[in-house]
Amino acid sequence: MKRIENRYVLAVIYLILTLYACFSVLPFFWTTLQSFKTPRQANARVPLFIFEPTAKNYTELWLKSVPDDPVLVTLVLLAIFGLLSLIAANAKRIPVSRGYVYLAVLAIGFFVLLQIPTFVRTERFYNYFINTIIVTAGTICISISIGCLAGYGLARYTGLAGVIILVVALGFRSLPGLSYILPYWWFGQHSGLYDTHILLIITLVAINQPFTIWMLRSFFMNIPKEIEESAMVDGANRLTAFISVIIPIMWPGIVSTALFTLLLAYSDFLLVRILTQSNWTLTVAISKYAGGEDPGHITLAAAAAVSAAIPIIIVVFIFQGQLVKGLTSGAVKG
Amino acid sequence: MFMSPSLFVMLMLMVFPLLTSVWLSMHFITFRNINEPVFVGLTNYVEVFSDLKFWSAFTFTMTYIAIAVPMQIFTGFLIAVLLDQISRRVRGIYIAAFLMPFIVVPIVGTLMVKQLFESGGLVNWAYREIVGARFILTEQSVKSLILLYALWAGTPFSLIVFFAGLQTLPQELVEASMIDGATRLRQIRHIMLPHLRSLFVFIFLISIMDAYRVFDSVFVLTEQNPVYKAEVMMLYTFRTAMSVTRLGKANAMSVITVVMILVVLLPFLYRTYKEQIEER
Repeated sequence: MKRIENRYVLAVIYLILTLYACFSVLPFFWTTLQSFKTPRQANARVPLFIFEPTAKNYTELWLKSVPDDPVLVTLVLLAIFGLLSLIAANAKRIPVSRGYVYLAVLAIGFFVLLQIPTFVRTERFYNYFINTIIVTAGTICISISIGCLAGYGLARYTGLAGVIILVVALGFRSLPGLSYILPYWWFGQHSGLYDTHILLIITLVAINQPFTIWMLRSFFMNIPKEIEESAMVDGANRLTAFISVIIPIMWPGIVSTALFTLLLAYSDFLLVRILTQSNWTLTVAISKYAGGEDPGHITLAAAAAVSAAIPIIIVVFIFQGQLVKGLTSGAVKG
Repeated sequence: MFMSPSLFVMLMLMVFPLLTSVWLSMHFITFRNINEPVFVGLTNYVEVFSDLKFWSAFTFTMTYIAIAVPMQIFTGFLIAVLLDQISRRVRGIYIAAFLMPFIVVPIVGTLMVKQLFESGGLVNWAYREIVGARFILTEQSVKSLILLYALWAGTPFSLIVFFAGLQTLPQELVEASMIDGATRLRQIRHIMLPHLRSLFVFIFLISIMDAYRVFDSVFVLTEQNPVYKAEVMMLYTFRTAMSVTRLGKANAMSVITVVMILVVLLPFLYRTYKEQIEER
């Protein structure tokens, strides 16, 4: 549409947009503020905006005891993860296949996270954080590997069976997770897999599979057939052509899909709540802070909410281009 | 050949559970007799349909869909159109702010919104200043809170999709209509809306499905304050399975839910099927 030039109308537009932006951001702003207050300050009759911040809620949430040199430890960890995310964000400039770069970054980062409890005494919240990472990473790896094969197959194969699979998958996608989870719970009780990461990963992969297939397929459709055909003329079979020619140019699509799988796996609450007893992920753990009688629960809940939000915001910040691309590509075409 | 792993996963982990669910729904199972379910036929279904709490959950779910979905779509569309009008340079900042509720996971988002309404919260204070009374959680206020959360968390998705759709608006049509002297409202009516028609259908469907299975926010907002009248169907099913431990009945409810959703969904699935057939 042509832009409006009337200055007053434009001012009104900016005003509306700004108001709506405030509405969107207000809960974050307020929760972050609350998380740095003492319970007394947080319950003040008139909301405090200027106060002396305390990190006590966070240390209480994450640590059993504060290490002797907290600043040094934080700086070292920040440096390590900053470096890793820099490498990940610039993966395409490194002359190795991107898959290896991402894998290496993830492996090193995960190793460091696992080693933290050996020199800092962490609270159980940290274990939930590790659980979340294991479950999310496992789900992404398995889901994307089998989803890529299927998405590629469905993009190239045009028989009737393919169409039926796609439509049925779409139907599955629309059903509520609860209708699958209750039977899983029953299986879990019988097979002894209840309360394990494996069961969580399997169910999350299954529930996200239809979405993964649709999204990856739409990315594969954009890759011209001639590319793998020329590789196959050179003597490669379809599988080698797929692995060595198609996958390397598919990385943007894969990252985009992985990002959505991450959001879905990270946010899943119902499934984890039903299928685990103590091996919670962050979402279930923080829901425990939602209510409570003691006056400290507000600030602690605020700290928990902010702690759970930060990892996802960091990841999205690194891959923000892919997120918007993913949101719009699948939708606008369909 | 390429599809086999994925097909295997979907068959084993989606089709099979659904069938198990149907099987379980015809049995009487609690945590005590979990290994020897008793076959009771359709008794569970009869019980569900004569359960007042089920109907109250059903009514609230429908109310939620009827209010939340149009609200999300309308706000998303309005903001997208306005966003399209402002200069490209500042758009990025606005989009980042708008996307925040979408990025944070529902549980965290709900907790954050709830913080505003806690006894020391910002909105609670404003409410006290304006109305003069404390903000307390009653059936009505919990319900409005749930709807407010739906607006906050659900709008970004439709906003971004509409905004992306507006970027593909054919400029020649707009210019031609301007030469013909069409007003802005008519442009919206005759160019923009038809262009975005398929997007409206898409978002409408996704939003309905999401609204139908809303769980996380309702769970957090009603926990500790058991205002059971503000329950939605998923939450009631969950409580029947996990707190009341009537697994058979819960499975019956989930089968009913699946059937209801499929009835709504079938025309759309059929349309997708036709599209895909034509496309190949």
